[in-house]
Amino acid sequence: MTEKINLTIDGKEIQAQPGSMIIQAAMDNGMYIPYLCYYPGMKPYGACRMCVVKAEAPTPDGSYRSLPGSPASCTTPISEGMRVETNTDELISLRKGIMELLISEHPHGCLNCHRIDLCGPTDVCLRHVTVNDRCVTCPKNERCELKDTVRYMEMELTTPLTYNNRHLPLEVKDPFWDMDMNLCIVCSRCVRACDEVRVDQAITLKERSGRSIIGTSKGISLLESGCEFCGACIDVCPTGAIVERDYKWDKAEVKTTTTCPHCPVGCQTSLDINKRNKLIRSIPVREAEANQGMTCFKGKFGLDYANNRNRIKTPLIKKNGELVEASWPEALDLVASKLSQFKGNSYSLISSDRGTNEDHFIAQKFTRQIMQSNNIDFSSNTNSEIFDNLSSMIGHSSATNTIWNLLKTDLFVIVSSNITEQHNVLGVPIKQAISKGSKAIIIDPRETELSRFADHWIKPNINTEHILIGGIIRSIIDQSLENHDFASKSCENFDEFRSSVWDFDLSRVSKETGVSQEEIQDLAKTISESTATSFLYSLDTISSEIKESTSTAIIDLALLTGNVENPGSGIYPLFTGPNEQGARDMGCVPNFGPGYSHISETGIGLGELDNACQTGDIKALHIIGNQASISSESGQKIKNALDKVEFLVVHESFENEFTAKADVVFPSSLFAEKDGTFTNLERRIHKVNPALGNKFDEDEDWRILCQLATRMGANNFNYSNSEEVFKELSPFLLSTNDINFQKISQSGQIYSVKRKLKFKPINISLNLNSISSDEFPMILTRGRILEESKSDAKIQLINDKNSITRNEIIELNSQDALNNNILEGDSIKIIGDNFELSGIAHLNGINSGIVSTTQLFGSIIEKVQEHKTEDPMLHFDQLNLIPVRIEKPE
Amino acid sequence: MPADNETLRKQIIEAIASQHRPTVTVLSSLLAIQDAIGYIPNEAIEEVAVQQDTTVNAVFGVASFYPNFRFTPPNNHSIEVCWGPTCHLEGSSNILQAVLDYLDLKEEGDTQDGEFSFRFNTCLGACSQAPVISLNHELFGKISPDESIKLIKEIKSSEPKHI
Ligand code: SF4
Ligand code: SF4
Ligand code: SF4
Ligand code: SF4
Ligand code: FES
Ligand code: FES
Repeated sequence: MTEKINLTIDGKEIQAQPGSMIIQAAMDNGMYIPYLCYYPGMKPYGACRMCVVKAEAPTPDGSYRSLPGSPASCTTPISEGMRVETNTDELISLRKGIMELLISEHPHGCLNCHRIDLCGPTDVCLRHVTVNDRCVTCPKNERCELKDTVRYMEMELTTPLTYNNRHLPLEVKDPFWDMDMNLCIVCSRCVRACDEVRVDQAITLKERSGRSIIGTSKGISLLESGCEFCGACIDVCPTGAIVERDYKWDKAEVKTTTTCPHCPVGCQTSLDINKRNKLIRSIPVREAEANQGMTCFKGKFGLDYANNRNRIKTPLIKKNGELVEASWPEALDLVASKLSQFKGNSYSLISSDRGTNEDHFIAQKFTRQIMQSNNIDFSSNTNSEIFDNLSSMIGHSSATNTIWNLLKTDLFVIVSSNITEQHNVLGVPIKQAISKGSKAIIIDPRETELSRFADHWIKPNINTEHILIGGIIRSIIDQSLENHDFASKSCENFDEFRSSVWDFDLSRVSKETGVSQEEIQDLAKTISESTATSFLYSLDTISSEIKESTSTAIIDLALLTGNVENPGSGIYPLFTGPNEQGARDMGCVPNFGPGYSHISETGIGLGELDNACQTGDIKALHIIGNQASISSESGQKIKNALDKVEFLVVHESFENEFTAKADVVFPSSLFAEKDGTFTNLERRIHKVNPALGNKFDEDEDWRILCQLATRMGANNFNYSNSEEVFKELSPFLLSTNDINFQKISQSGQIYSVKRKLKFKPINISLNLNSISSDEFPMILTRGRILEESKSDAKIQLINDKNSITRNEIIELNSQDALNNNILEGDSIKIIGDNFELSGIAHLNGINSGIVSTTQLFGSIIEKVQEHKTEDPMLHFDQLNLIPVRIEKPE
Repeated sequence: MPADNETLRKQIIEAIASQHRPTVTVLSSLLAIQDAIGYIPNEAIEEVAVQQDTTVNAVFGVASFYPNFRFTPPNNHSIEVCWGPTCHLEGSSNILQAVLDYLDLKEEGDTQDGEFSFRFNTCLGACSQAPVISLNHELFGKISPDESIKLIKEIKSSEPKHI
């Protein structure tokens, strides 16, 4: 603990953290100094001068020396014994003067009027303020910091009503939000948030002095300026200059904090609910430890589906081939009596990766105890190898360190992960660290947003990542660069592992991977020389046969270099489902029970489900809320199986291909109607709160299962609320610390695990089942980046919205081009199963057999915004590798 | 004579590369480009962003901060009238008025006929010669409104020298 500094503010003696600014010290001690450009967590800036104070500091001879003038408290650091005055008459009048200047370019008729909270838009204004100059017609009215500050300062009515209207046109053509630069007070918070916090620089401060304003380079659209649509700029703007477009003028009646249901970062966001019980806005919580005030386009703009009224409203039973509405007792009775006939191994349950821990726990309890089957899995469990591997090598299957620990990382090794799109907020500390000098090695055939931050961007041949990492390991051992003490003393199995690496002859590795020996040695050196390395991998371009060897090699490399849990180092496996961690912890998998407990017999999981249904081994299938996975690989697998089963029960919120085939459908609650817990990738337990309450006759999945269980004769499924379920499941998680369900804060609570480190031998197995075929002999690797400085993107207005039109550039190997009779600049077509893309050929040195293209992130955002399905964020086009052939149109 | 895209990019890259200075920055690169081609085209913003490892928005933020950078090609000849304190005292407002009248302009800007780009200068650095004007970057001191117009007419027929 560092010593605190003592100082006096307005006669009150306080203590504060060394290095803080006066304003921060005051705030931490519950005192308020007016401010507008300051924002907690961002660097001091000193643009608005609202926070001026008088301050004096002691000199060695005991007297006090005044700081010159009236310094801005947001840029003046505290010192021992400092005396600060914040509210003298002089300061008050100084501040009022500054405020008058500030609002001389902002409509302010209402700002200093005593009727401000009384007038509506249609009232006759006593001061002749026009309707569109009134606060009440501003979308930020109820949450305007400028207004709050003016009110606090009790400005006199004498300020002239006229103001310098900038007459700038509104910008309403980009997705998701509107900008009215006539309301901007040029505090620059948005630009700083975008640059300092998000490291995007998608917006900038243009021009200077009287004409300074926020914008993009030459006014280009946000779709091409490098914006990731995270909304950070909106969240920090103190005025109505940048606002969310949807429900723009709606007011929040209630605010409820809950967990974003889109990815395992588990962002805490405060949902604004209007008086008609609609979710109108999502504002990330700054105090939350997992996301620290950040969200991404999904958590900020992708929650509207909770308002969709096109829901399954009551239970449905199939009668004469048609689903008809039924009462709960009728449907529950029917399912209970039907399922009684399928007890044992002919029953299988697939839980949702969006289920709460409570849902997962009850799902497995129901399956194992009532249905006496181990055939249970969750819908996104397509990478189980990676996690089983992690358990056996680390002792638990989750990240070994926290998300914001990445800020301390010196070197990132990122293997086949598209973090900005899939686990967005995880990218924030990574980009911040890199902007402060940390390095990154990216191993990925695709270009992703993080590629531009990479010091080494390695594109090995497809599916040779494990060989490359093996080669790096070999090179480290050859040069004796490993952390020998750690590897041999803190980890088991070092010797056996070490002898397994001799297969990885560097010349062979180089031949297989297409990465030169020098480069491999260089990587080995970089990784072993770094003091704090973090390894992140989601392996989405790697075929399932070698996922295990790849993840083994990555963990081995982390152990070998001693990067497990020190500050700045860690192993971060990245999965996709928002509560996959919980599903595993709760034993919602075929191979272990809750708390990773041993079970006698492994059941049928997602991977074998299709087959087991086809052969008739599975007769009754129970699918819980899998909207999210319909279009995914696992969803397709399940779909094929549906026709074969004798009895199909589906819990779902919206109709889809699964419900159409179901015998019984139960209406299930959405995230905003659930009361429960999610566990994020750091093992942090977050609360999911029923922000909206029940809309129709839907219910939470665990309750539905409990009612079935009770009807089937069980007496240990009587829970009156999710807290009771949590009490029963928590002992499986928490060896030492006890978590109180009601008291889980916005920062959640990380539960501890036992760590046991163990090397696993690696082998150089080649993946013989290449994904290409005779019909589609090439592999397309698609990339997506935020911005391309040299882009030829054109923005066109379509239906009054900005839209990108671009000639995609398709890179291919010169030899491959020659074989296909293609010249530089030719128009070509890439054709795959269900896939087509046209573009201009560009021949370069990429690996033979690969074609590659990089699109703009904006084009996806545009599509997502147009999407008419319930939850457009689920239709985010992922960057999988696609087998294709090239064609040259005549 | 608008250069075609590729020539323009080449000129820009050459201009950036031609800087012989210990530190090359966004600002210095922008200056080098404006010196070489007379303005900052889109391509220049893109090139500088790439070379300085930053974004177009950040580069534009810098460029637009300085009114001296222009984003459209200048006209054939440049005219600057000094508006600094010394020249002001020595009667530059008369020169200014005469020049504006002659060019048919109301403020800084480019003439319709494509001949002149006109702007004020806050001090041309030759106060002892006040009042001063600059024509195609050549200074003329102790000058009268009539002489100014005469000189402007002369350069009009000379080779275009827009930079
Ligand atoms: S509308 Fe007129 S009377 Fe009402 S608060 Fe605004 S300035 Fe005051
Ligand atoms: S939404 Fe776009 S402009 Fe705003 S902070 Fe995020 S990246 Fe920057
Ligand atoms: S848009 Fe908002 S945050 Fe940005 S400078 Fe203007 S007032 Fe400040
Ligand atoms: S990073 Fe993940 S949890 Fe956070 S807002 Fe985005 S999708 Fe939601
Ligand atoms: S808050 Fe201190 S200058 Fe703006
Ligand atoms: S004031 Fe005109 S040259 Fe200095």
